[in-house]
Amino acid sequence: MSAQTTSMRDALYEAPGPKTRRRILIGTVIAGILVCLLVFLVVRQFYVTGQLSPKYWSFFTRPTTWRFLWDGFLGTLKVAAVAGAISLVLGLVLMLCRTSHLKALNVPARIVIEFFRGVPSLLLVYFFFLVVPQYGIKMSSFWMITLPVGLAASGVLAEVFRAGVNAVPKGQVEAAMSLGMRPSKITFKIVLPQAIRFVIPSLISQFVVVVKDTTVAYVVSYPDLLQNARVLISNYDALVSTYFVIAVIYIIVNYLINRAAVTVSRRTGVKIIK
Amino acid sequence: MGISELWATYGGMYLQALLTTWAMTAVSYVIAMALAVLITVMRVCPIRPLRVLGDFYVQVFRNIAGICLLIIIVYALPNLGLTLPYRTCVIVATVLLVSAFGSENFMSGINTIGIGQIEAARSIGLGFSQTLRLVVIPQALRSAVLPMTNLAIACLLTTAIGSQVPLSPPELTGLVSYINTRTTGGIATFLISALGYVGTALVIGFVGNRIDRKVRILR
Amino acid sequence: MSSEQNTGSEVAGQVPMIELRHVEKHFGDLHVLRDINLKVGKGEVLVVIGPSGSGKSTMCRTINRLETIDSGEILIDGKPLPEEGRELAAARAELGMVFQSFNLFAHRTILDNVTMGPIEVQGVPRKEAEESAMALLERVGVAEQAAKVPAQLSGGQQQRVAIARSLAMHPKAMMFDEPTSALDPEMINEVLEVMVELARGGMTMVVVTHEMSFARRVANRVVFMADGTIMEEGSPDEFFDHPTTERARDFLDSIKGH
Repeated sequence: MSAQTTSMRDALYEAPGPKTRRRILIGTVIAGILVCLLVFLVVRQFYVTGQLSPKYWSFFTRPTTWRFLWDGFLGTLKVAAVAGAISLVLGLVLMLCRTSHLKALNVPARIVIEFFRGVPSLLLVYFFFLVVPQYGIKMSSFWMITLPVGLAASGVLAEVFRAGVNAVPKGQVEAAMSLGMRPSKITFKIVLPQAIRFVIPSLISQFVVVVKDTTVAYVVSYPDLLQNARVLISNYDALVSTYFVIAVIYIIVNYLINRAAVTVSRRTGVKIIK
Repeated sequence: MGISELWATYGGMYLQALLTTWAMTAVSYVIAMALAVLITVMRVCPIRPLRVLGDFYVQVFRNIAGICLLIIIVYALPNLGLTLPYRTCVIVATVLLVSAFGSENFMSGINTIGIGQIEAARSIGLGFSQTLRLVVIPQALRSAVLPMTNLAIACLLTTAIGSQVPLSPPELTGLVSYINTRTTGGIATFLISALGYVGTALVIGFVGNRIDRKVRILR
Repeated sequence: MSSEQNTGSEVAGQVPMIELRHVEKHFGDLHVLRDINLKVGKGEVLVVIGPSGSGKSTMCRTINRLETIDSGEILIDGKPLPEEGRELAAARAELGMVFQSFNLFAHRTILDNVTMGPIEVQGVPRKEAEESAMALLERVGVAEQAAKVPAQLSGGQQQRVAIARSLAMHPKAMMFDEPTSALDPEMINEVLEVMVELARGGMTMVVVTHEMSFARRVANRVVFMADGTIMEEGSPDEFFDHPTTERARDFLDSIKGH
């Protein structure tokens, strides 16, 4: 979603003449009524099923409720931040191996990348939650959620980094070679710093995926936002209202991260790789 | 538990799980694409309330986590008077998520068409619907092939949220949990399911790339 | 819709092919067209020049309503330019437009680009449309490229195809919006040659360009625009050799410097 999106969707239409303007106006009025009707029906459904009753909402006025949710949110942030860091490092390493000329490096890297991109993060969570302990390895619930989320993201990030490296103009490498720089030096001093600049907006938008993946933390009983919400629900028996609030929080947080990615992308003139 | 024993006991269930995953992916993807077209039409139409509604839909469902959405559909909707079978819940959640991203893909497909292409179409006397049919839609569809391929893979992976509700038969991820809560299945239980996903994803990717190479627009 | 081309320049008392009366346009705060009055006679070749931002491209684009106007009137062959719908599409079908960036349909072959208009707008049978398209491509010298897609052609070739695409509609008049500005120098002439041919054949043309040699060779009249107004107009020799306004003299000096 960018300014360009808006202008292009407008570009599909002619500047309207008088007849078209009238038609659009009529359409707008009808559509406006229909949308209002839709909103009304949703609210009415909440009302007739008793979900607007104060007992479901009043506890949201208590500071303790929000403190508890805040703790959960911090848990979400902690998992997301560490998983994000893991995926950055591992993604970079995987990309370097993947682009290496050594078969012994790039073939395994390819397999690992395809693997992590091709399995759902939930399956990885079950691996760390159910399978790993069978081999006598003890892990805290934090790592049981953080490791799989980080691993799943690393496969995607490796490909994002690779796209960034490919975006560095060939002339840069040629110029460095003509200065007599060694290949490893060219990679680390010339190519990578530029490649990373190309992918920053994409990295930010990939963080949304990480945040979403953390929501399965309840599987391993790690107290993240969703898990704490479930506790609230069992305390107050307010299922609809609590899930509604939690969903809105997730949507806003991820929306803001996406906005940040778009803002950075527009300011630096770098495209977001999907 | 060794692989042969595992396969002897659960092999049939794995095949069923793979079929379940495939079926849910296919059904969700097809419905989601149809919905994505509808949402995109709303988002580009000149009628403001529809645009706003379409944008709102996309922002909500591309930013909500899949698990969160599924839980709401499974546990909250019955309190609002709507109870769906578990399998339907999983498909509905997947459709909502995938259609939002699908609409984004169509929008960026439209964006890759230059304004010049549309002006040229108008200049030779093509009307609005002809311009859409002959220039805008074919170009947008062609440049959406690769993103839509990736989205099909994402759709496949999203159906794993089905592991969070009691499906019978379970899908690939749910089966790993099913087996390991009954026996110590070991790493093989996980690898078989993973293979099912990775193999499917590779096939989808291969087909998508082939189609893309055929229809890609040189610019 | 006939393509019979009369040979002479403007005949007194004849209805002009294109007429702009008191045309005004703003882009936000920017007043891009100020009281533009212009007549282009049948078979006349009008060259519009001026510095960037002078409004010359905008004016050219208002003639087939790619840009709307705030007030004033635009008449095509004596009839007001329709504002919307089928009538507008029909009017556009009779006016050719050639863009700076060619704008060939990227997903279609060269041949399809030329036949799309006749087939979809005029209902010409495909076979017939393809035959006349091939003849046109022959005429602009790119017939052997017919099966390729636009990106496989050089800029000069693409622009010649764009001209053929317009010609396929048998237009009453053609607008050229800086047709050679996006071309490498060695390709400019191949496009100009096609345009000279057209002009000699009696096509009514409005050409926004900086190519003075072209203007001297074929223009019946040169219009100089700056700051959204027509500052000066006259025959090419008059204008290029004895510009009357300071702005025109400065502008001519600046492009001679190239």
